[in-house]
Amino acid sequence: MGEDLWKRAFPGPERGVPLLVLLGLLFLPLLARSSDYVLSIFTHALILATLALAWNILGASGSISLGHAAFFGVGAYGSALLSADFAISPWLTIPLGGLVAAALAAVMGLICRRLRGAYFALATLAFVEIPKVITDNWDGLTRGSLGLVGLPGLPAFHLGPWHVNIARSMSASYYLVLVYTLVVVFLVALVWESNLGLALHAVREEETAARAAGVHMDRYRLFSLLLSAFVTGVSGAVYVHLTRYTAPGLAYSLHFSAVPVIFALCGGRFTVLGPALAALLLYPVDQFIFNPLLPAGHEFLYGLVLVLAVLFLPGGFWGALRRSP
Amino acid sequence: MMWITALVSGIALGSFYALITMGFALIFGVTHAFNLAHGDLLVLAGYVAYWLWKAWDVSLVLAFPIAVVAMLFTLLVLQRLFSLLREPLELNSIIMSFGLAILLQNGMLFSFSGDYRLIPAPILTRGIHLDGLSVSYGQLTLVILSLIAIGLLHLVLHHTYLGKGLRATIQDREGAALAGINVRAMGVVAFSIGAVCIGLAGPLYGAIYYLYPTAGLQATLLAVTITIFAGVGRIGGLLLGGWVLGLAESAAVILLGSSWRELVSAVILMVLLVLRPQGILGREQG
Amino acid sequence: MTLLRLEGLGKQFGEIWALRDLHFTVAEGEIVGLVGPNGAGKTTLFNLISGRLKPTTGRILFGDQEITGGEPHKVCHLGIGRTFQSSRPFARLTTLKNVLVGRVFGKTFRFRARREDLEAAREILDVVGLLHKADTPAGSLTPSEQRRLDLARALATRPRLLLLDEVAAGFSPVAVKQAVGLVRRVQERGVTLFIIDHFLNLSLRVSDRLLALDHGEKAAEGAPPEVMRNREVIRAYLGLRHEGDH
Repeated sequence: MGEDLWKRAFPGPERGVPLLVLLGLLFLPLLARSSDYVLSIFTHALILATLALAWNILGASGSISLGHAAFFGVGAYGSALLSADFAISPWLTIPLGGLVAAALAAVMGLICRRLRGAYFALATLAFVEIPKVITDNWDGLTRGSLGLVGLPGLPAFHLGPWHVNIARSMSASYYLVLVYTLVVVFLVALVWESNLGLALHAVREEETAARAAGVHMDRYRLFSLLLSAFVTGVSGAVYVHLTRYTAPGLAYSLHFSAVPVIFALCGGRFTVLGPALAALLLYPVDQFIFNPLLPAGHEFLYGLVLVLAVLFLPGGFWGALRRSP
Repeated sequence: MMWITALVSGIALGSFYALITMGFALIFGVTHAFNLAHGDLLVLAGYVAYWLWKAWDVSLVLAFPIAVVAMLFTLLVLQRLFSLLREPLELNSIIMSFGLAILLQNGMLFSFSGDYRLIPAPILTRGIHLDGLSVSYGQLTLVILSLIAIGLLHLVLHHTYLGKGLRATIQDREGAALAGINVRAMGVVAFSIGAVCIGLAGPLYGAIYYLYPTAGLQATLLAVTITIFAGVGRIGGLLLGGWVLGLAESAAVILLGSSWRELVSAVILMVLLVLRPQGILGREQG
Repeated sequence: MTLLRLEGLGKQFGEIWALRDLHFTVAEGEIVGLVGPNGAGKTTLFNLISGRLKPTTGRILFGDQEITGGEPHKVCHLGIGRTFQSSRPFARLTTLKNVLVGRVFGKTFRFRARREDLEAAREILDVVGLLHKADTPAGSLTPSEQRRLDLARALATRPRLLLLDEVAAGFSPVAVKQAVGLVRRVQERGVTLFIIDHFLNLSLRVSDRLLALDHGEKAAEGAPPEVMRNREVIRAYLGLRHEGDH
């Protein structure tokens, strides 16, 4: 049955790719001879993959957001403050961070309810400033522009006789993030194939026809926004406990708004895996190849692939691979 | 007294904003392309002027025409890229120009590093000092230049044959094409005028305000805000919109502190977008 | 029994009245053809009924319920389906999924019962003759196949009233014959039909009654032969100036 599902999901010759990637990721610590540097790059890449996947939940409805850093930052700060100031375990504060992000998304979604296409994108671009500037200035709550240091790391993991202190081990952190990524992939796949996904795809393809066929467009768009924001916020929280540091300029930076868009569009916004595969390809390329060459300006790569994707490959490289007979 | 200073700086800043917006509004009106890289091009023009001074000791006055020429080249390349885009043009142009903005930012970061740069032009910092009111020559230049630019643009749009073609294309692209107007050529003209505006505003920006690679996006959002506020094709509205925004920002800086500045323009933009959800050229769905 | 009632319905755009003071009823089980030259207001009328536009004046009643200015998805849930002047398939979804959207969302959102929905969708594809293309992306269908898909999708919402906008536009005589058969099959399922037919190749053959519009006003209504002989209707189609007399 599982094999049937696999064959249905990947009908073409590209079937081998996700399996190869998964195997590579599972054995990475071995392959990389436990190099902390390599592990940290791929851990970061996985988090970006979850961001791209989460972004694409909203993207499935046709809405392009250029301001997802708002949710990333709010999730990060929410979890950081709850765990640092109230000594609550990150196991709890991480999902709570996601909920705060979802709440923010609910506000934005209601305000921007009637906006479409380019105007929605512009609104999301502007919206980031709101949580960013508030976080920056509300010193009493957030310590302002200096940011927060010495945050609790990812918590220890107890399972019967096993006791893993994740924060201390690069490998353990990596595997935790990998498991999280797989969960997000599974979630996106679930949404994609569900009736909710059907509604989102229909709205994206032909909004008027979808509404005439009975799809309550506003409700589904809003829901996809909330879910997208929740996962983005959780990723922000995971990130902040990994790095144990945050600041408004970092958490709300354009980087975290741009990167999910770029990976989703370059990988394949009409597919489930495309965004993640793009993240796992482009980020390591950026870090291993271009960063050493151009310490200042290596991110030009992201701009370049985005322009190329929009002009020549709007379905992304994974989308194109899947279509070919 | 603080309020008078705020008024002056608000008007000067607002005039500058209007100057920046002119190119953007014209390009959007004629071609329906959103150029999110507009601000980055402005910064690029500023860096060109800076480099001319730094490497070749070229004076600011000479830098203007050179920057304009550089921008003409750049924007015409951009126009070709935009013409390759598919429908929906507005959204695709936003995404592509978003990518271009990142490209430009990184290019500038690589070339000039992230340090704040300023083109020295001492005359601009001197000014008139009256009874507690001081206006720098830089601020005066901004106001006068923007008034001249707006005046010229108005002249072109309303008193020339070319301007008629531009206005027709802005109002109804299909109709204009049917009437025999070469809308593609109108697009090229719009981009060219935009290039001139950026080529003039950029070096000024570099001489009065600080240049840094990521300054562009903020400038673009300002241009978008003012364009929506004014409604495309209304030149006077651009100047008014610029002043309103400039004054609002100056007031916010005094009342709340400078770190709230960006929030003010962001909120104004969102309010405008929500109140005019059909966009700038909106018409009821029929 | 009267299924649809339009009372004094009107729509103004700026200075222009696209539709003015329209009174009309559609009885359950009928096939009514909506005819008239370009710009007569036919599609505007459909947009008003389906909720895509809000009327300036008048009321729309469906069964006992007032649906004036309702949201499109709500109007669909109440039992009015529609197609559009140019076909609007969900291009990247398969033909089957296109129909499934209508089936799943046409009444109220259904979380469960996927199997029966899939079967129902396949059955409807069969009715319109597209079952063999169930797994083809809708974007790859021919234009006439896409029209049939639009019809299937609307049918899947289990409507009591179906608004068909130019379902046979540009069809060859053979295709028109097939369309006639299709329309009759739909009628046999108990659906009342309101068909816009600018080219008159379909509605004259299937309609029980016609409503003719000209410049937003009712020019004539009644049995097809009478309406087509009506002087006003002929003048409207020939494009002669609409003088004020009725």
